[in-house]
Amino acid sequence: MKIEFVVNGESCAAEVDSAMRLIDLLREELRLTSVKEGCGAGECGACTVLVDGEPVCSCLVPAVQARGRDILTVEGLAKDGQLSVLQQAFLDCDAVQCGFCTAGMILTAHALLMKKDNPTDEDIRTALAGNICRCTGYVPIERAVRAAADRIRAARS
Amino acid sequence: MSALKEKERTIQRPEELAPGRDFRYIGQRIPRADGPDKVTGRYDYLADGRYDKALVGVVLFSPHAHAKVRSIDCSRALAMPGVRVLTWEDAPDVLYNSGEWFPGQNDHPDERVLTGHARHVGDRIALVLAPDERTARIARGRIVVDYEVLLPVVDPEGAREAPEALHEDGIREFPGTIAFGDVEGAFASAAHVEEDVIVTPRIHHAAMEPHAVFAAPRPEGVLELHTPCQILFGIQQTVAKVLNLPFSKVRIIKVPMGGSFGGKQEAVFEPLCAWAAMTLHRPVLIVTNREESIAATRVRAAAVGRVSTALDADGKLLARRFDVTVDAGAYLSGARKVLMAMGKKTSRLYRIPAVEFAGRAVRTSTTPSGACRGYGSPQIHAITEIHTDLLCRRLGYDPVDFRLANLVHPGDSDPSGASDLGNARIIECLTRGAERFGWDHRSKVLSWGRWRRSAGFACCTHGNGYAGTIYHDVTEVSVRIMEDGSVVVRTSLHELGNGTLTAVAQIVGEVLSVPLDRIVVTEGDTQFTGYDIGCQASRVIYVCGESARLCAEQAKELLRSEAEKLWGCPTTYENGELLVGGRRLSLGEAVRAVETKGGTSVDVHLTYSPDRNPGSYGVHFADITVDTCTGLVTVNDFLAVHDVGQAINRNFVEGQIYGGIQMGLGMALTEELAFDAKGRPSARNFDKYHMFNAPEMPPIDVLLIEKGEPGGPYGAKSIGEIATVPTAPAVVNAVNRALGTEMTCLPLTPARIVEALAAL
Repeated sequence: MKIEFVVNGESCAAEVDSAMRLIDLLREELRLTSVKEGCGAGECGACTVLVDGEPVCSCLVPAVQARGRDILTVEGLAKDGQLSVLQQAFLDCDAVQCGFCTAGMILTAHALLMKKDNPTDEDIRTALAGNICRCTGYVPIERAVRAAADRIRAARS
Repeated sequence: MSALKEKERTIQRPEELAPGRDFRYIGQRIPRADGPDKVTGRYDYLADGRYDKALVGVVLFSPHAHAKVRSIDCSRALAMPGVRVLTWEDAPDVLYNSGEWFPGQNDHPDERVLTGHARHVGDRIALVLAPDERTARIARGRIVVDYEVLLPVVDPEGAREAPEALHEDGIREFPGTIAFGDVEGAFASAAHVEEDVIVTPRIHHAAMEPHAVFAAPRPEGVLELHTPCQILFGIQQTVAKVLNLPFSKVRIIKVPMGGSFGGKQEAVFEPLCAWAAMTLHRPVLIVTNREESIAATRVRAAAVGRVSTALDADGKLLARRFDVTVDAGAYLSGARKVLMAMGKKTSRLYRIPAVEFAGRAVRTSTTPSGACRGYGSPQIHAITEIHTDLLCRRLGYDPVDFRLANLVHPGDSDPSGASDLGNARIIECLTRGAERFGWDHRSKVLSWGRWRRSAGFACCTHGNGYAGTIYHDVTEVSVRIMEDGSVVVRTSLHELGNGTLTAVAQIVGEVLSVPLDRIVVTEGDTQFTGYDIGCQASRVIYVCGESARLCAEQAKELLRSEAEKLWGCPTTYENGELLVGGRRLSLGEAVRAVETKGGTSVDVHLTYSPDRNPGSYGVHFADITVDTCTGLVTVNDFLAVHDVGQAINRNFVEGQIYGGIQMGLGMALTEELAFDAKGRPSARNFDKYHMFNAPEMPPIDVLLIEKGEPGGPYGAKSIGEIATVPTAPAVVNAVNRALGTEMTCLPLTPARIVEALAAL
């Protein structure tokens, strides 16, 4: 069937079938290859995208559920070539090693910061619980989210 | 559980991190060059690309641990448009060893690209190809295979006595020994002899990117292969062997990698993909998912180690005896090399006059093992460091004092005849670490209600390349200063995600005083970059980094001397400029003049072979709490102390340590790929394979000992592998101390802890 939805701020339409997952729609049809498949079972979080602001594992969601939704992938974060505060913080804190989990990590953290502009350290760790990283031990990733939260708040005040 | 943590785990702000030291780039926190692409999703891994005219291949894997294929019916798959199937019957009858990385190493060959005799769940029976992955997977599901199921061998100790050898070669075990000194005399005269048996688990590397490889036939009979690998020229020789091609016709290109940890070091799907592309005269992309990556690639070898220690009356080490069995899994792969690497570590941490290390790699009906971060080092240090704590407890020695009395000193030689230990700063690691961690008070056992809290630590060593071993260590590098003064460094390096390319750029930038955004360091392509034995053996910084430094120095001197010749006046190189007589010339101006008027390009090629292979050293300290009711362990706090010589990039060094600890905590407490009696794996995906996530990680404090290592660039030595080595024994020692147990079978799962407590 044909569905319409919004991806990274742009209206899209696509032909989907019942076997197609959201990750397939994004990667294969829309070529948004920042969305990575690490386990295909909702365990690692590498395929995380935001659907109406909520982080979901796109490997678990049927593509048809994108109908009428607003989807954000990491390709949609930078505005006019300017990295988001969170993306810049990931660079500054060396929160990226191999990079395969990075897009999912950033989107999960983005969803957290949209909801809570002053998260506790525990909030940050808990938010990241569903995203596995084998390279960084999470330490620099947590620092990046912390730093981004601080910077966003500082910019507002 | 977090309520129990007395120290709140605070996330550090960037400005709170220790700054770098007196260099322009070395030791600083330089952002990695590939970072911007990675945070914007533009860093394309192999499976992110589109490959014109390519077929996508999925492997038909055996569901049985041991079986022979009676028949295979592909007709329903072949009826689908565009589907092709290659089976073991089509495959070349060439045996290879996936862990052999240089011709003539004579690692026993026992593996084929496809087989009709399945030797583990996940063995490769056929390759199903289609224009897209979805079609290939549907087609694979339509193939009917009739198997004659045979008895598997799951227990490595049982493999030696199994009624029938698993392979036609009839070989039951691949032995190896290392021995020096009078072991027998030492044990005969010892005041104390202590013995333990330690078991370490099979571990999935869990690089987040599952394995993928692309191969295409090119003009003039060349096979081109794109792979996220660690040893280009090793892959080349294996593929050449399977295809019966000269090396010159096999072009291997390193492509972006989403983590390896050794899991992409051996030739896993590369020979199969190359053969399929040449057979079908089509480009072929093989992709895998997590289930396939867990069952059908490589794992950290499980090991069973019996260690006996002879001591004199003062607690001085006299001798050690080892009997070690390494589980190779279904194919020998690199397992015998892992065994020998374990043995090589036994004489490099403690002063020990006599060692007898005897072991064997055995094949079982389980997923093949191979390289995995540390290459046997985490296994042998788990064996020796858990044993050392237990013997101290039994004999009443303080574990810190006992080690301080026996640890190696800077400049010690290795009595086994291997390379000297170099500036071995393990004693400093231990004394400074114990003080910083507060070992004296943390090591006491606290007991309240069902909770027990204490601490543990473990020491370790790891190498810096292959000098002084049976393997050669050679690398080539080129540095070209270009006509605008920017620099290209051509290497056969492999970026694994650890920042190798940026670290090498920092070294070259330091020598030439060229800004890092004007330096490009290439990865390897066997047709265009020089030889290198691979990003393995913790050799990249110490060997390849030093070769880049030397090469940059030569490029600098070439430009200076050519300029001096050209202008006929004294010339010096200062701060990225040439001072010719009284005149300042930019690098670009100087290079253009030397090229146009002097007929010389500033392009230096260097072949480098190190003559040293010192030890890197480290100590990890863990503070833990055990819930004696559930057997659950919480890691409250952690300190990692590492003798790294000199950090090239402080962020990268710390990043390796944080990640190494995450892997090591899994080895200690949660990660284990077990097999049942039928040879079926306990975990097919991450739902049954538990790795530490963010909330479970302890706060991690890092202390770097930077006293310089001769022979390394700016005194640097390795960190990537050793970072994971002492973690597991530190945690196990802490748990045993807290509970008064002698648990030696890893990981310490809640079930094993509860069982051990019940037996007290």
